[in-house]
Amino acid sequence: MIAARRRTVMGTLLHIFVGVMTIVSVTLLVSIVAMMVAKGATALTWEFVSQPSKSFGAEGGIRSQILGTLLLTLGAGFVSLPLALGTALYQTEYLAQRLKAVSMRFIYALNGVPTILFGLFGYMVFGIYLGLGVSWLSGVLILAMMILPTMIVSIREAIEAIPARYREAGLALGMTQAQLIRAVIVPQSLAGIITGMLLGLARATGETAAIMFTATTFSGVDLPQAINEPVTTLQTHILLLSQEAIHSSATDAVWGAALMLMVLVFCFSLGAFVVRSRLRFAA
Amino acid sequence: MKNSTDAAFILKDVNLSFGSVPILSNVNLSIQERGVTSIIGPSGSGKTTLLRTLNRLNDALPSFQCTGSVLFRGQSIYTNGTGPIDVPRLRQHIGMVMQKPCLFPTTIYKNVVFGLKRLQLKPRSDFSSIVEETLQAVSLWDEVKDRLHRPANDLSQGQQQRLAFARALACEPTALLLDEPTASLDPQSTQAIETLIQELGTRMPVILVTHRLEQAKRLSETVIFLSEGCVCEWGGVDDMFACPSEEKTQQYLAGHTL
Repeated sequence: MIAARRRTVMGTLLHIFVGVMTIVSVTLLVSIVAMMVAKGATALTWEFVSQPSKSFGAEGGIRSQILGTLLLTLGAGFVSLPLALGTALYQTEYLAQRLKAVSMRFIYALNGVPTILFGLFGYMVFGIYLGLGVSWLSGVLILAMMILPTMIVSIREAIEAIPARYREAGLALGMTQAQLIRAVIVPQSLAGIITGMLLGLARATGETAAIMFTATTFSGVDLPQAINEPVTTLQTHILLLSQEAIHSSATDAVWGAALMLMVLVFCFSLGAFVVRSRLRFAA
Repeated sequence: MKNSTDAAFILKDVNLSFGSVPILSNVNLSIQERGVTSIIGPSGSGKTTLLRTLNRLNDALPSFQCTGSVLFRGQSIYTNGTGPIDVPRLRQHIGMVMQKPCLFPTTIYKNVVFGLKRLQLKPRSDFSSIVEETLQAVSLWDEVKDRLHRPANDLSQGQQQRLAFARALACEPTALLLDEPTASLDPQSTQAIETLIQELGTRMPVILVTHRLEQAKRLSETVIFLSEGCVCEWGGVDDMFACPSEEKTQQYLAGHTL
């Protein structure tokens, strides 16, 4: 009787504890979004979005920064998608079970590397050793490396989620492994591949540390005319403007840029969610 | 026991296992070039494992091991002294239909030509006539001829299974493996499939795994009974059902679970 009562009390306390933790977590996240919207919405006008910045960002808009962020992000996606798809296919279709587990641990470990280290590596290797300097190309390459683990994990999970009977149906028809990959595995995991790419792009869009070393300048740059020219991005623009916070126009602009960055990340994440929901493989 | 002069498959001293777990031991039998051969036995006796050994589909499963000799029309399909075995080509010759109709999420037409197109077995200009021929062969043409470009998954379970047969037959196999193809079908669909199996059995060796003893009796010329990790008994269907020589077979056929 006492034991039963104690179990009931413990259960209630646990219920309250996890409930409070959930409320705290959700409140924190909602507060950030609410603050961005409240402070940034007034600044986020069509003029602000469509005009280039002036006076080191204190005036004008964020057109170049939006395009710069998109150029870096989409470039990184373009470079990393074939690499991630190839790696995921090699892991799932060709690698022995034991090596598969080892390679996955390595990929997960790579995912946890601080992004500043990616930036430093990119600066040393791409910027100095390969002579690419601080440029759009350096930024694309380092961002591609950075989002690679996210994309590999996501694509691999999508491939592994294909029911075994579909593979067997293909193999039983006499397909080779390569034909199976082309005709069954890639088409059936397409939703996961697109989702993985969008999640990777979302991560790349929010990244600041890595590109500070390799791709961006804080001011005086518009759109790059070549791949070896630097770009300006929303992330670095926010950093620059936040240091100019004593000017009220800069304060408004920083919230507007922050909200715009959040919208871009949200668009990629939402895209991933929609693709996953709509194109999910009918198992 | 039959002689092996006109055998499509011959198994000599075959042992099948997953890692250290033996599934079937010391399998010695032959399967004739024409007719339906049924594999029966209790659940877990290794029926499907034996069936999938014949087209090497178990190779995809980790730790599967096959020792002994498995010959398909006189050629060893596991070991070859002259070079590696062309397993995809072997599987092109040995068609297979699974227990559940596994259609690809595309149209009826594309499902029929799925193997043909990828394996480039025929020119594309022949596809339409092949689709019609194979769908007629599985008695599905009249039911789907007006909706060939609709999703295959909209078909009933029985129609889907017949479509799976059509997909396998479109690649023109010379032997057919069937893993409980009527297990999840209604009586009407089962009858349609059984008629098809009998017709196919006149042209090629058809090896059928089934839990339904009546079905094995109706369709087969030869029956293989598996129990407790070995081939307990095999032979002509009339002999097997009328006067089985092994006690285990007698008990199983009498309805006992071994």
